[in-house]
Amino acid sequence: MNKIKNYYALERKAREIRNIILEMIVSAKASHIASSYSIVEILVYLYDKFLNINPENPLDPDRDRFILSKGWGVSALYTTLAQKKFFDKKLLKTHCKDGSKLIGIATRNGIPGIEATTGSMGHGLPIGVGIALAAKLQNLHYRVFVLISDGECDEGSTWEAILQAGHHKLDNLTVIVDYNKWQSFGRVKDILDLEPFVKKWQAFKWSATEIDGHDFPQIATAFSKLPFEKEKPTVIIAHTVKGKGVSVLENRNEWHYKTPTQFEIEIALKELSQ
Amino acid sequence: MRAAFLQTLLNIMRVDKNVITLTADMGFSIFEDMQKEFPKQFINTGVTEQSSIGLATGLALSGYTVYFYAQAPFATMRCFEQIRLDVAYNNVNVKIVGTASGFSSNQLGVSHFSLEDIALMRLLPNMTVFSPGDPLESEWATRTAYEISGPVYIRLTKDGSPIIHEVKVKQSFILGKGIEITKGSDFTLFVSGSLLPMAKQIVTNLALKKLNGTCISLPVVKPIDRKLILKKAKETRYLFTLEEHSIIGGLGSAVAEVLAESHISVFFHRFGVPDKFTSITGSQQYLLNYNGLSAEKIGKSILDFIVK
Repeated sequence: MNKIKNYYALERKAREIRNIILEMIVSAKASHIASSYSIVEILVYLYDKFLNINPENPLDPDRDRFILSKGWGVSALYTTLAQKKFFDKKLLKTHCKDGSKLIGIATRNGIPGIEATTGSMGHGLPIGVGIALAAKLQNLHYRVFVLISDGECDEGSTWEAILQAGHHKLDNLTVIVDYNKWQSFGRVKDILDLEPFVKKWQAFKWSATEIDGHDFPQIATAFSKLPFEKEKPTVIIAHTVKGKGVSVLENRNEWHYKTPTQFEIEIALKELSQ
Repeated sequence: MRAAFLQTLLNIMRVDKNVITLTADMGFSIFEDMQKEFPKQFINTGVTEQSSIGLATGLALSGYTVYFYAQAPFATMRCFEQIRLDVAYNNVNVKIVGTASGFSSNQLGVSHFSLEDIALMRLLPNMTVFSPGDPLESEWATRTAYEISGPVYIRLTKDGSPIIHEVKVKQSFILGKGIEITKGSDFTLFVSGSLLPMAKQIVTNLALKKLNGTCISLPVVKPIDRKLILKKAKETRYLFTLEEHSIIGGLGSAVAEVLAESHISVFFHRFGVPDKFTSITGSQQYLLNYNGLSAEKIGKSILDFIVK
């Protein structure tokens, strides 16, 4: 019963975050709303329930590292960080406005909680591998989490890093793939198919599982078992819906680029209040 | 030059356990001793230049100073975008060491020539660019790269380059300062990197023809020694640059940029590799000569420029 209550609170948080993202994106006439919507539950769970982080000491050497490799989904991360009081919520209003540090792609420029500059695809995982390797070399016990997109799995550097993490047995490293099945120009399966995806990771000496990336119980179960295997990095392939939470934004690639208009805003506000 | 680099790096690693050497599977017969002595400070990341730059950045963000070693074209060009965003933007302690630069891999052709690396590295904010010309400069560059905070590119050629400077002179090397090798008021020849011996030869040859030149080694291409360039522009009317690099973007361009905005009127000419690919093989000397880079050809050009 407690558990169900718990998830209800998380679901409410996810809705709140989607509302704030909508406000930010519309106010800045910004893009990538759908990319942010597909990772909200994962971020809410990690920051609310899982990561060993302290907003009062965001550079604590022992903190868990979270790298948003799909840096274009950063409005979801900014909102989550602001909710956790890494910085003042008022700052969110500056997103993508003149002179703001809240850039449209995750950029390591002094915003507390942003660990790496990413969004040029295939950068987050190699950096995460380096940080995880450093922990092993220094006998530190922090863990490294890298959230990557499916489109990023086209990049050679991503697979180089996958190979390296497996080889170096980085069981302190977890990758979450936001497998929303869309990339810049269309469907992943039509452009550059990743399947059999799980088998690919396993062949590279990773331990893999698949979850529904919007289902809190499934997310919680997956993270409770880390690392899945000793001496192996973990990948959680999260099946997600691009634009999740607002019917008119879901699974339509135009919302990688466009800012919602009054039509979508009204539907969004209605659906996100339910 | 590479031996001086290696010895200096070993000495640094012995003292500072937070120095890690990464190699993208390069350094056969070079790194075996390092690998044995420093199992926790030496990592062969495999043939993965792009992810290795990210990995090096992750290590650097976790407190390490990282020397990343690969052949110059692969250390700089294959992973340029990673160097730009991961290393240069974050201003981290990653020291990129490009070996076998210029035409060092003389028999291997265009894939292994590195004639654009300085241009690329010079372009990046936060990056310091070393192009040492003899073993003493190489040793100094390797140590200075460690001492300064932030990203560095060190351009090396293969072993066998003679020592040009007097050993005692190396105490006076200063970051961003040129080193005067000969003095003369008829012209100044700026040189950076592997062609330092050729530059010295050119000036010596011309002295026999009563043209006295100042030869200046610039082992640091960025930050460039603007002050010295301007001083020489006032003292000698003819200024030249020499390098085993494309005529575009390297030392010649760096000096040209200073001169063009100086409002000082001088005669200036760049000697470097012309803007075309070299699609033949041969000895390094043959390939340099094929591209117009020999002490005889350049000496004659300088003579013609000044006398005519």
